[in-house]
Amino acid sequence: MDAPFLEIRNVTKLFAKVVANRHVSFSIGSGEVVALLGENGAGKSTIMKILYGLYRADSGEILINGRKQKIDSPKDAMALGISMIQQHFSLVGVHSVAENIILGNVKGIIDRRGCERRIQDLAHTYGFDINPSALVRDLPVGAQQKVEILKALFQNAKLLIMDEPTAVLTPQEAASLMDFVRRYAAAGNSAIFITHKLREVMEVADRIIVMRDGDVVGDVPRAGTDEKRLSTMMIGRELPPLPEEPAVPPRAGEMLRLERVVVRDRHGVVRLKNLSFSILEGEILGIAGVSGNGQQELCEALCGSLSLASGRIVLNGQDLGNLGVRERIQLGIGYVPADRQKDGVVMEMTVAENMMLKSSFDPRWRKGIFLDRVRIAAYAKEKISAYSIRTPGPEAVVKGLSGGNQQKLIVAREMDNGSRLIIFDQPTRGLDLGAIDYVHKAILAQRLMGKCVLLVSTDLSEIFALCDRIAVIYQGVIQGIFLKAELTTERIGLLMAGYPDTPHVNDAFSE
Amino acid sequence: MKVNARFRDMLLWILIAVTLGLAASASLLLFLGKNPIAAYGLLAASVIRDRYTFADIFVKATPLMLTGLAFAFTYKANLYNIGAQGQFYIGAIVATAMSLFLGARLPGPLSLPIVFVATIAAGGLWGSFVGFAKARFKSNEFLISMMSTYVALAAMNYLLRTALIETKHEYPQTNPFTPGLWLPILVNGTRLHAGFILAVLIALLVWLLLFRTPLGYRIRAVGYNADAARLAGIDSGRISIATFFIAGTLAAAAGFTETNGVQHMLVQGFNPNIGAEGIGIAILANANPVGIIFASILIGALKVGGAIMGQRSGIPASIIDIMEGFVMVFVILSSFVRSGLETRRAKRILRSRTK
Amino acid sequence: MINLLSRALMMMTPLLFGSIAEVFAERAGVMITAIEGIFILGALGGFVGAYVSGSLGIGIVLAVLAGMALAAFYGWITVYLKQHQVVTGVAINILAAGLSSFFMRVFFGVPVAPLTVEPLRAIPLPFLSRIPLLGPILFTQNILTYCVYAIVPLSWFILYRTSIGLTIRSTGENPEAVDVAGISVERIRFSMVVIAGAMGGVAGAFYSIGYLGMFTTSIIGGRGWIAFAICFLGNWNPLGALAGTVVFGIAEAIAISMQSSGTLTIPNELFIALPYVLTIVLTIARRSFNVPGKLGVPYKKEN
Repeated sequence: MDAPFLEIRNVTKLFAKVVANRHVSFSIGSGEVVALLGENGAGKSTIMKILYGLYRADSGEILINGRKQKIDSPKDAMALGISMIQQHFSLVGVHSVAENIILGNVKGIIDRRGCERRIQDLAHTYGFDINPSALVRDLPVGAQQKVEILKALFQNAKLLIMDEPTAVLTPQEAASLMDFVRRYAAAGNSAIFITHKLREVMEVADRIIVMRDGDVVGDVPRAGTDEKRLSTMMIGRELPPLPEEPAVPPRAGEMLRLERVVVRDRHGVVRLKNLSFSILEGEILGIAGVSGNGQQELCEALCGSLSLASGRIVLNGQDLGNLGVRERIQLGIGYVPADRQKDGVVMEMTVAENMMLKSSFDPRWRKGIFLDRVRIAAYAKEKISAYSIRTPGPEAVVKGLSGGNQQKLIVAREMDNGSRLIIFDQPTRGLDLGAIDYVHKAILAQRLMGKCVLLVSTDLSEIFALCDRIAVIYQGVIQGIFLKAELTTERIGLLMAGYPDTPHVNDAFSE
Repeated sequence: MKVNARFRDMLLWILIAVTLGLAASASLLLFLGKNPIAAYGLLAASVIRDRYTFADIFVKATPLMLTGLAFAFTYKANLYNIGAQGQFYIGAIVATAMSLFLGARLPGPLSLPIVFVATIAAGGLWGSFVGFAKARFKSNEFLISMMSTYVALAAMNYLLRTALIETKHEYPQTNPFTPGLWLPILVNGTRLHAGFILAVLIALLVWLLLFRTPLGYRIRAVGYNADAARLAGIDSGRISIATFFIAGTLAAAAGFTETNGVQHMLVQGFNPNIGAEGIGIAILANANPVGIIFASILIGALKVGGAIMGQRSGIPASIIDIMEGFVMVFVILSSFVRSGLETRRAKRILRSRTK
Repeated sequence: MINLLSRALMMMTPLLFGSIAEVFAERAGVMITAIEGIFILGALGGFVGAYVSGSLGIGIVLAVLAGMALAAFYGWITVYLKQHQVVTGVAINILAAGLSSFFMRVFFGVPVAPLTVEPLRAIPLPFLSRIPLLGPILFTQNILTYCVYAIVPLSWFILYRTSIGLTIRSTGENPEAVDVAGISVERIRFSMVVIAGAMGGVAGAFYSIGYLGMFTTSIIGGRGWIAFAICFLGNWNPLGALAGTVVFGIAEAIAISMQSSGTLTIPNELFIALPYVLTIVLTIARRSFNVPGKLGVPYKKEN
């Protein structure tokens, strides 16, 4: 039998604290599309990075067309025809599409027309609609991804690895991508895509490799499996039942209301279109949706760092108008941001200093013109024990804390600051199960204090577990607000994908 | 305690760096056919030999301390103040003009504080212009502060030729100040003036401001992470203006100490490198105000020693710059070595934990 | 007037060498804050080479070598050891000032009268120098100025029309993109710094052997920093650098001629300050600069 295009044999990779890959073996033939499926931390990204030369395996071998190969860097991988499109693109925003594609791929004087023509032809072959002289930073994310793909194609990639390619795409863009993958495979090339989305897998993969905790636990052709079986292989057990539906206290008044809010981002593009909703005291409202549909702008508009183009936000009966961040903090708005290291903490400062980050203007920390360090330290100590933050003490530098503990710090701080409204944006991303549980319990505890909570998350199980009502956002518009009981995974999935809400169609999909 | 161990480590590395820097400079002396050991021995001896020379260390340290603070302060907010030299000149101009104006009209103890306040106000305003451009127009403060120095220099040279020129109209310099406006000498028989005490007090005040007040907290927060600071309600524009204002007052104070403490007049081309040297001081001290006190004394000692070496051993004055430069370079290299060792130590700990 | 413009062009030469050098380095992401020191050492090297050998050509070669050596030292610390660029530059500038003065003493002792060499002579180009008006200004210059005529368009072409230019620009904008393409970010940055050092050395040499014919540490007087500022003002583009240099060159020429002519109606300090004020105004007015995205940030690979 002909050797498969790529074969990975017994690859093992150890990191400081964990076995990322344990005797991983599989192969891919030409013209095959393989999905690498698994939860966060299963080891999928690691094995692919080894294949692409970004990591070095501790043991095992890689064979291309039956011959052993040594891949020590992306350059080696590319020479063998292997290309990888990572989640986080490496493009130069201020350069054109063409310039990005030819970087490192042409020599001498640049023949701009010639290159642009080559790129157009390539794009045409695969059905991409792209303007080679457009600046990359002006392109939507889906188009930027196409540029990355074209770059790989320009280098005659025979195997394309894609890491969570649809995480940042709209449904149309995702469909267009799947289309491309099919055409690419039909031309005799191979593709691997890493994902945890079962739906995509069933749409386009020929074979599915499931990984769990560093091992390969399944290697099945698509025809012989279904989503339920794959999901069981991924998680290793049946999904636990959703917890009991929490209740909103009776006679709750309205705490937050948005009226026809329109927000433009820093480039003037409209990101929120006539958004209106309200949250009652003690209620948790979830915002579900694919990343990049206006969630970030919503959070920033609420906390005051982005101003409204029109409409208004009313908190506890007060129109927030043009109030700045500082005033809103004083009014009791707490915000747990999605990017905790960039927006939530000052890594080089201590735990105590971070605890007072939002309240630096507050007179309670002052003793005359100086900071009352004793009081700040005591406050920090109190929060450290209340939230079980694992740290040597209030004087420890936050950089040394684990992600979970940094998040606990932020949550502790915002719970205190947010006396009326707390906004949580992806609060459990990247956390281990223990920290996730902690944060969830903390969020649920807020309702007892009469605060309203806005929970933005792409994790549907989290949304379903915690929220009283769920709003779905798509391209800056609320597609609908529902009680939890009214939604099924399929219905919310369609709404998130921008399909208009039609309950009848749902019936056709339900099993 | 862990904190003290880190501090001790840092001090050790700085000591190593200083030693290596002096050694490198010493080796260059061989090119001149001079005996480096003898020269350094002479340096060490003469520095502690008589009161005048020893006190001069602190005289030289004074303006360095202040211009060092002027760079370090904005550096804490992640801003670059390259205009300390110009702010120094502005301070010198205003101090001179006020001193000449007040003359003997008021008693010394009354007029000196007035001159001081006027000086730092002027310096603060001059500096805050850069901060304002940054806050309002997001302009590059590195460039604007750098350019502002040349403007200040041109202004000073012009005034020295015209409005402030001495009555004799012979040289581009002013009349000497009346003795009432001279900063009092602290130790008889030396040049050590009250400006040194002032500088040390200011350094300590700056430390207090940065590490013990809400404003200092906010400055450091913006310096470390402007994004998180913004979401915390801290306005980076206001911080820009505030830090450049304060930095301006600091460098201007250096101008005051030099004109009223040392020269007692304003001469063209005096302390032409005090701004750049201040940056060097800030580097040595890792932008820590207390460290700056010691770093400036160290460099002051090098300067005095270098001058002595020039007088006694015929070693050119350029050895001073060479010593400063080498010491700084070695401090930079030592920080690289130190962080490399720390990383390696951390990795070793991690690896041993997982066995 | 013709004399003024001719002199302006001459004063522009070192600034162009320096600012274009800085453009290349900064486009790759490294700001050479040691540029002043490079100018100084280049001036020293040029003078020493010319004085000892009697040939200005040897002087220029030595200037280039001196500039490259200092730049390599700066590059090693900032690109490979990844230390702070501003801090390192300041240290190196102080060191260079000291070293240059020191080695003058080592080589020549304390001379009775300052040592001089015959500076570069103007070489009138055979046919072109006779064109009225333009001839005496543009085509009766020294060899370094003629070099600059070629360097400006050549730099522009390399930066915008060649593959290596694209790589250089990408390195400053997003070094990760270059790394992923299999090109060594450090190698690109280091080589740009060294090349800039060569050009900076020539710039410095211009002051000692191209114009004044002597060397003291004060002849550079901050002009390295002006080249640095021009790079910024010129928006990191060789043509922009040309525009910025024109402003400074003309201002300097006017200031010199006013000083010698002695007319004091307009204070000559005003002319000296003018280009700096202009720089400030332009920096503020021009809201958006094309700062290379990752300028000044050492590239640390994720492991």
